[in-house]
Amino acid sequence: MKFTTIDIKGIISPFSAIGKVLEHPKTVCYPAQTKTVAPGYRGFHTNILTDCIGCANCQDVCMNDAIDMITIQEEKNPKNKSGCIPRIDYGRCCWCNLCVDVCPPNSLALGEVCIQAEMDSNKFLFFPKDSSC
Amino acid sequence: MDSKLIKIFHGPQHPGITGNMSVELDLLGETIKYARTHVGYLHRGFEKLVERRTVIQAFTIVCRICVPEPDPNEENFARAVEGLAGIEISERAKYIRVMVQEMSRLAAQMLWMGGQSGSIGMGTVGQWSLFDRDLMLDLFEELTGGRVYHMYTYPGGVRRDLPEGFLLRLSELLDYLEKKLPKYDSIFFDNATFKKRAIGTGVVPKEEALKNGYVGQTLRGCGIRRDLRKDNPYLVYDKLDFDIPVFDGGDVYSRALVRRGEMRESIKILRQVIAQMPAEGAIMQKLPKHRKFTLPKEDIYVATESARGEFGYYMAGDGTEHIRRMQVKGPSLIHGFTLLEKMLIDEELSNVAMIMNSLGICPPEIER
Repeated sequence: MKFTTIDIKGIISPFSAIGKVLEHPKTVCYPAQTKTVAPGYRGFHTNILTDCIGCANCQDVCMNDAIDMITIQEEKNPKNKSGCIPRIDYGRCCWCNLCVDVCPPNSLALGEVCIQAEMDSNKFLFFPKDSSC
Repeated sequence: MDSKLIKIFHGPQHPGITGNMSVELDLLGETIKYARTHVGYLHRGFEKLVERRTVIQAFTIVCRICVPEPDPNEENFARAVEGLAGIEISERAKYIRVMVQEMSRLAAQMLWMGGQSGSIGMGTVGQWSLFDRDLMLDLFEELTGGRVYHMYTYPGGVRRDLPEGFLLRLSELLDYLEKKLPKYDSIFFDNATFKKRAIGTGVVPKEEALKNGYVGQTLRGCGIRRDLRKDNPYLVYDKLDFDIPVFDGGDVYSRALVRRGEMRESIKILRQVIAQMPAEGAIMQKLPKHRKFTLPKEDIYVATESARGEFGYYMAGDGTEHIRRMQVKGPSLIHGFTLLEKMLIDEELSNVAMIMNSLGICPPEIER
């Protein structure tokens, strides 16, 4: 007759998980509670329009063709000779930050806002929020 | 006899599959008699995409080749470009990169633990390990600005310096994880249910492992001590003291114990990195502008030890700002086809998910 050894420790030790019931829950009650993102988080773009020179470096470096330079009527920066500012297509953007790296006046940045819910996909094509205001 | 065989597809949409792939199984009762891996559900053509972009643009694609651990891809890409372009990075950048690699390894092992335990119906372990992984992702968020796709390790160094007090917070997390690992032993690694299922299942013979070129835990789980961090040290791994966990069983349980040992060693490495990290030094070398960053007409192969084994990149330049050819060699191709198809024969259907998880198969890397 074959006897197999019984792994007593292996049977009892998993019950140590019961101790967890005494701990405070770690989950966040979303959306009533939200988690604050870390400084430097790569969320939606912001642009200081009074600094933006319309150079299109961001458009050139974007590997996803997510940035278009669009002419604006109102002059925000006299140094902006082209009269254009970037518009981002968030259906294509991968938040790689390369556009921010190449921005000569450091006007473009990735902000901390990272949640947007829309029924219309065209609403994900917008100008970055003007952070100079 | 064949008329009694039942054909089923395990995946691509199945909780027990490790990503978007499927395994075609011929069953005789509950026993697998024939297995064939099918991929193609996740093809994004990474290698071709890289060829159509400039060096700097291509950098943002490579992290997507493996979701559980994108950093070895970034590291390989950066080192390949640096090797071709003749860029030498600073000591501080090397330490930061080692830190990122080991943090990534820890996060990947936590994710694996969730998958491995879930594959045999242990939901609690996954809840714990994914929470702990999230603590690591919080640190990644602080360091890189992203939780999963970090896009941080860059040709020439790293993109950002460490935030103030980062090493202290990392040290606190390591203290927490060190205390947590024995609890994982209690509920998972020493668990009689897991042992009963895993010991003697999915055995890889030592000779076959060497002959077929298996890597990572598959190799170390059958008693072969091979790890690129020791055998062919890169960055500053030669200045760090750590062991390579090896177990002889060759089965799912041995591979799990190897990963358990690697978590302990990663914590040890991170503690040394925190102690030895130079306080000063450039994190990034000066690089040519986006359109002027050219690679010479040479080629290079670099490899990094990822959490699942050797991850290699072959890269060839052609004198322009584009990469002529980039080829990815990940652990999943050999494990997901050659090994899995062979290993599943005569196994029970209920063991498929467990075996796949133990091999660390990641489909996007197969169909790169």
